[in-house]
Order: sequence, then structure tokens, then C-alpha cells
Amino acid sequence: MIKAVNLTKQLPNGKLLLNDISFEVRKGEFLGILGPSGAGKTLTLKSLIGLLDLTKGEVWIEESNNEHINIFKTKAKVLKKLRTKIALIFQGYHLVQRATAIDNVLMGRLGSISTFRSLIFGFNEIEKNAAMSSLEKVNMQHLAQAKVASLSGGEKQRVAIARALFQEPNLLLADEPISSLDPKNAKIIMGILKELSTLFPVIGVFHQPELCAKYCSRIIAIKDGKKVYDGPPVLEETLLEFIYGEELAIVIPEKYAN
Amino acid sequence: MQTSMFKKIVQIVAFLSFILVTYFAMQACGFKIEALQKGLKDGMFFLTAMFPPNWTDFKSMVAPALETLALSILGTLLGSLVSFIIAIFAASNISNKWVKLFIRSFISIERSIPELFILLILIAAYGLGALSAVLALMIGCIGMLGKLFADAIEETPTSLIESMKASGASKIQIIYYGILPDVFPKLISYALFRLEINIRLSVMLGAIGAGGIGFELDYAFSMLQYNRALSSLIMVLILVIGIEQLSAYIRKRLLINQI
Repeated sequence: MIKAVNLTKQLPNGKLLLNDISFEVRKGEFLGILGPSGAGKTLTLKSLIGLLDLTKGEVWIEESNNEHINIFKTKAKVLKKLRTKIALIFQGYHLVQRATAIDNVLMGRLGSISTFRSLIFGFNEIEKNAAMSSLEKVNMQHLAQAKVASLSGGEKQRVAIARALFQEPNLLLADEPISSLDPKNAKIIMGILKELSTLFPVIGVFHQPELCAKYCSRIIAIKDGKKVYDGPPVLEETLLEFIYGEELAIVIPEKYAN
Repeated sequence: MQTSMFKKIVQIVAFLSFILVTYFAMQACGFKIEALQKGLKDGMFFLTAMFPPNWTDFKSMVAPALETLALSILGTLLGSLVSFIIAIFAASNISNKWVKLFIRSFISIERSIPELFILLILIAAYGLGALSAVLALMIGCIGMLGKLFADAIEETPTSLIESMKASGASKIQIIYYGILPDVFPKLISYALFRLEINIRLSVMLGAIGAGGIGFELDYAFSMLQYNRALSSLIMVLILVIGIEQLSAYIRKRLLINQI
């Protein structure tokens, strides 16, 4: 479970990038965050892992032992351990191109291996087998030894998801994971993310409201740094117009209309 | 509005400026064409005096040439290592703003210092010999490789670094697992290029006391043994051209095998 409370980020010139954003996400939920460009979606996501300095606000994460931790007020050591349990995937360019798929997956647990051990001894058999089964879960085991540079966009995202799974996370965050994928692969990835939400909460930032409406269990819309919608994935025309304004025509191309 | 008339005028003005600048530069440094013509005759005599090369002496040039090669390779190797460590601090994606600024300035300053000068200072500190030569080459690498390596490191996408940070990886793990694999071919390529430069530098520095084939060349000239000088010069050519060809070959193969 992760809870964001009054997230606020104000620039020196007074402009509010994030304006009092609060919400809570639990296991079983696949949350989609929508909004026009520059609304503050990615900033919200980054705040959730403490990668952004907030002016005001807190983020509480429930640990496996039911303890709640405020990520902005924890010691570095606790924060690092917490981070090993949070998986993050991006739109693209977040894998090592010259390394194999399985090598990339193994990198997911670097946070829980001491620097010394990882540099001198690398990964052990148990870890390698676990990495293989992560790849199996996204149907990529046959490409385990392939260099990531030779994979397609959809395959790369599946490797990224396998890496996330390998972390055995308590939370998965995704920043526009399907924005550079063709419709077929976009749907495959959305399907995988939806399945994963049964294991842990999944929060994704998207530019594809139609796919969100189909796969997400809940939607939050952010506009000008403020939360303007928080509810079931039912998106009518009027709501979409209100959220996106002029961007609506760009955001919903025909290819998603089926 | 750029009519062709305007362009013609600009071309004529540019050409005239070029002539003027050349003329005044020649005046300023005393470059006289008549002197060039006169020296040609003396130069030709000098060159013919160098022929034929002394083939017996040629065999004795092999060891010094290998010494120069060894110095260059060691200097480049150590220089690459040092430059890589410095480059990490000079890369904006994994270093902090102020450290990066400071280190980048340091790299630029090093780049402006002639290697000759560095060697002379090292000789004052460590005396003539291989140590000073290798250190001079090593330090000399920093100005060029420090910048090139740092730029290459900055090409690693921030999203990769951020996802590793987000999952709790340490800085060293991010460098070793995230940055190094993708940037490695570039590092090798730049290091090989620097090796070519260091070979030529070694020959030059050899004349001032670094030893090797450069020393032989300078010594032969100062002893007025022109045939011997030509032998050593031929050896220098073999060394320099040989390394350049090898370096170009390896770098081309690296480029092809980018995947």
C-alpha cells in the first residue's frame, strides 16, 4: 500500500507544479494516471519514490510487516532497503543495450547485493534461475541470451518488466511504459501490468486514455498540478475534454478505436 | 535578402581579407619567401647527405623503438584508467553540478599545457628516464581522454541511471553494470586514437631525455651521423605508421561490431 498526502511542489517564482495531490493505492489496484503534457504526472510518480524534492507533503509506504514508513523522513539505509522493493519502468532507454536480456534482469537486485560481492563474484546460480523464471513470466525466456539492442520495442519492455518482477517488489511504478509501442505490443504490456496488479499495486502514467479505460481498475487525472478526477475507469467525452482540452485530438488516434 | 550579387561581393571581400591577413601575419613574424627559396638548396644538400641509410645501425634501432612503443602503451593504459576515473566526476548524469564544473575546468586546463612542459617538470622531479616519460604521457592523456570519456558517459540515458537508483543500486554498481558495458567500445576506440598521438609524442619527448627511438634520432643528428639519423627516422616511420594502421583496423572492427 502506498499513500501520497498533500504532495506540493512550488518553484521559486511561485508556480505550482504539484498542488496538494493526495491518493492511496492498494494491492489489487492498477492505477492509471492521466493528464495533458506538463500536468505533473511524471513529477507525481517521481515523488512516490523520493526522487523529487517536495515543497510540502508526505509519502507513506506500507512495509511487509505492516509498518508505515514516510519516505522523506527515513534514514538512508532504510530508504535504500525500501527502494529495492519498488520497481520502476520507463518509456524506453532504460536497459543496457550491449548486455543480454538475462543480464539486464539480474540488475534488478543490485540494490540488495553488496557492491563488493556484485563486482567480484557477480550473481549466483539461485539468482540466475530466478531471473530465468522472471523472463518466463513475460514469455521472453527464449531470448534470455539475446543482446537487448537486437530486441524489438515490445520485447525490450517485457525485459524491463521481467527485471521489475525479479526485484519481487511491493509496488510497481511505470512512466509511460507503452508510449513508444505499436498498438499490439501496447495491449500485451497493459495485459501483463493488469495481471501483476494482483500481486502488488501497479501505478502507471499514461497518454492513452482508451487503453487505461480498458485495463486499469482506477484512474486519476491530473491537470495543472491538481488532481481533477479520482475514480472508476469510465471516461466520457465531457470528462476527457475537461482533462485534455485541445490535446484531445492528439491523444486519441484512430488506431485505439476498437 | 541574399542576391547572387551580394554573395559575390561577400566572396571577394572574404578572399581579399584572407590575402591581407596572410600578408600582415608574414610581416609580423618575419616570414620571407626569398629565404625559403635560398634554404631549399641547402636543404636538398642536407637530405642527399643522409642517403643511404646505415643498415647496420638499423638493427640497433629495434630495441629503442620497442622501448618507445612500451612507454607509449603503458602511458596510454595508465592515462586511460586515470582519465576514466576523472571522467566519472565530470559527467553530468552521475556527478553533482559543482564537482562536474570543477573537474571539467581542470580537464580543460590540463589540455592547454604542452606535454613537453609536463615532461620537463617531471624530469626535474624524477630525473631522466622511463618513469618521467610514462608519467608525462599519462598526465597528457587527461586533457583529451578526460573530456571524450566524460562525453561518452553522458550519452548513457538518464532513465537507465534513474531506474537503477530507484531500485537501490549503489553509485559504483550503476557505473559498473549500467554505464560501463555500453560505453566500453567508445572508450577503447578513444584510447587507441590517443595511443597514436602518444607514439608521436614519445618520439618527440625521446629527444629531450625520455629515451627510445626519439633519443636515437636526436643523438644521431647532433653527432652529425646523418646516415644513422636516416635509419632511425625510417624506424620512427615504421613505428608510427604501423601503430596508426593497427589502431585504425581495430577501431573499424569495433565500429562494425557495435551490437
